[in-house]
Parts: sequence; C-alpha cells; structure tokens
Amino acid sequence: MTETPPTVPQPEEPPRRLTRSTDDRLIGGVAGGLGRHLNIDPLAIRITFVILTFAGGLGLLAYLMCLVFVPTDDPSAPPLKWGLARTIGAGLLAVAALAILIPDWFWGPQLPLLLVAGAVVYLLVRMLRDDGGTHAGRVAARIGIGIVLVALAAGGFVAAAAGTALGGGIVVAGLVIACGVGLVGGAFRGGARWLIAPALVLALPLGAVAATDLDVRGTWGDRTFHPGTAAELAGGYEMGVGSMKVDMRDVDLPAGRTDLRLDLGMGEIQVLVPEDTCVTTDAEVGVGAVNVGDGDQGGIDVDVSDDRSVAPRVEELHVIADVGIGHVAVGDRFFDWHGPGGWRDEAFDALQTGTSSAACRGTA
Amino acid sequence: MTPRAGYDPASLIAGVIVIALGGLLLLDQADVLELQPKYLLPALLAAVGGILLACGLIGPPRGRE
Repeated sequence: MTETPPTVPQPEEPPRRLTRSTDDRLIGGVAGGLGRHLNIDPLAIRITFVILTFAGGLGLLAYLMCLVFVPTDDPSAPPLKWGLARTIGAGLLAVAALAILIPDWFWGPQLPLLLVAGAVVYLLVRMLRDDGGTHAGRVAARIGIGIVLVALAAGGFVAAAAGTALGGGIVVAGLVIACGVGLVGGAFRGGARWLIAPALVLALPLGAVAATDLDVRGTWGDRTFHPGTAAELAGGYEMGVGSMKVDMRDVDLPAGRTDLRLDLGMGEIQVLVPEDTCVTTDAEVGVGAVNVGDGDQGGIDVDVSDDRSVAPRVEELHVIADVGIGHVAVGDRFFDWHGPGGWRDEAFDALQTGTSSAACRGTA
Repeated sequence: MTPRAGYDPASLIAGVIVIALGGLLLLDQADVLELQPKYLLPALLAAVGGILLACGLIGPPRGRE
C-alpha cells in the first residue's frame, strides 16, 4: 500500500497587471510592458509609437500618457498614489498637448466631447489601477486596451493616408513591403503575425488614396480666383485642400476653345460663368460628385466628359477638372454647402448648370 | 510529414500577399502602373481576405493553441 502524498496548495497566480517593464526598456519600459501584457513583440509597439509620433505627435502623446499612468514593475519603486494633484497635472498636460498639436480641431465644437472622453479614460485608468485584481478591473483593462489599440490603428491609418496624399506614397509602399519581408522572415522563426496589423494599417489607406488619385500637395484653404483675361487661364489653377472658386464673368473668351485646367486634391471646385456661355467639361473625381450640364453624377471614380458638338467660331470654355475627393460644379452662381437649407442652400437648387447647350450651337 | 518546428505557414502566406500588394502599390505610386479603382479596390479586399483565410485555416501559431 502506498501513501498518497499530501497535496500542496499551489499559490494562486497573481493577476497580470499592465506595468512598465524594467527588464525590457529603452526609455521608460512602456513598449516592453505593453508587449508583455498583450503577448506581442515590444518592437511592434515601438514601431507603432514612432510612426504615430510622426502623425502629429500622437505617438509621443500616447507614450507620455502611459509613462504617467502606468506603474513600473519594479517592486522596490514607491507605489504611485492617485492624488488629486497628479490627476489634474496629467490632465492639464494632456489638454495642453492637444491644444498645441491640433489647435483647429481642439477649439471646435467637439471640446465637450473631448472632455467626456477624458473623463471616461480617467475612470477606466483608475479602475485599472485601483481594481486590477478583480474581474471588473480585468474587463475594464481589456476595454481600455481595446480603445487604445483602436485609436492607435486609426491614427496609423490617418497617418498613412496623409503621408500618401502628401506625396509619400512610395515610402508607405516601401514600409508595406518591409512588413511583408518581415512576415516571410518571421515565418521561419516561429511566426510574426503581429506584422499583419501594421501592414494592413499602411496598405489599406495607401490603396484607398491611390484609388482616388488623391494628391493634397499645394495650397490649403478657401480661394476665389478672378481671372480678367483668357491669357490668365493658361496655367490653370491648382490647390491641395479646400474650396476653389473661379469667377469667369470678367473674361472675354476668344472664338474657339479655351481650356481651363483645375486641379484639387480634396474639396470643392465651383466655376461661375455667365448664363450664355458655351461650357464643355472633362471632369474626373476619385470619390465625389460632378454637377455640370445635364445633372448630378456621383460615386467612386466619376468621369464626366462632354461630347457636345460645338459650332465653329463659338466662344467655348472647356473645363478640365481633376479632383481626388470632392465636388465639381459649373454654374451661373456660387453656392454654400452649409446654407440654411441643410447640406446645400437655395442657391444650389437654383443653379443653372445647363448654361451652354444653346450657346454651343451658336443659337443663344 | 510534420511541419518544421518554429515554422508558421500563415505568416509566410500573409507575407507573400503583403509583398505582392506592396509591390503593386509601389509600382502605382512610382507611376509605372496606373491602377484603376475598379481593379485596385478588389485587390485590397482580396489581400485582406486571403490573409484572414490563411490565418483562419492554419490556426494559431505553435505554442498558442
């Protein structure tokens, strides 16, 4: 007969809290701690922080927030207390950083939303810190980490799209290929599936921007051009982002065709012409709408090309418009998208876009 | 035949897909190719679908089952 050895109660594994790593640290151990907590390579976290730092400083801000709010795993370090001064100080730092980094966005109508989001993040972090060992704490931690990851992905998406639209598409494509090479290489070293996420975060906006042919290099803002002579139209007009309005009422068009080239990355183009002007159009819009001639055309990859026959010796204005994302309208008045009638005002409803049929036939 | 230790076929397939997609986008950005949206957007969807399918069929990497 054998005696059964008494079972020794195993100590319960302590709940895994998000802490900054003292073993794997380059600066504050944030990436090392996040990587350990999420069970992914800290290098991926570091790369994400660096990429997002170039996206308006988002990565730096996120890192500093983690540095402030996430405790270190060093048992000899004094425990951090959630004092009122610490909370207010960190909150004011975050508010100041946002106000400096994105002032136009920060001081807009979304400020109350920002305050609510700040309060939610504060409560989540506080639950995470003060209640880390309970089920509620773990759930809150997962929710908080999920929100952070979604925010990081959204930031990376916007950064890749903006980088491509600003002419850095080749660099972004190179980074995608580098991720692919890393995946292939990592496949023989146990797998590197975490690289799929950054690869797609880079590739999808790059593809979307490439599909719309979006190029926002150039002037940003609202501009109204008043050419006085047909000769001034030779170079055309080009803008990156914004509202481009071209007032053609002072131009005496010569007999025959006069080209007006308009290039806009994102926004709206409005061309104002007298009602009796013969206008033909060749407009390409990646995503958006065109309002010329016989009505609206909208959607993805919109290509409007007039095949109107123009009588000889007629003064013809040929509008060649290229817009990545936005809208092209040719008519007898400017209009406001944010008018009292909703998304477009009465001026748009009264817009005469079919200004040219009779004029082009020479019978106007 | 057993898979080689430490070898993750899903990463390999995903890598090949990502390299192909990145190469396509690089050629487009370098103006070597001019990809139209009606081809490029399905290519993006196909890439994402292919990667998800590969990961789903092959399962989690060794040691994480």
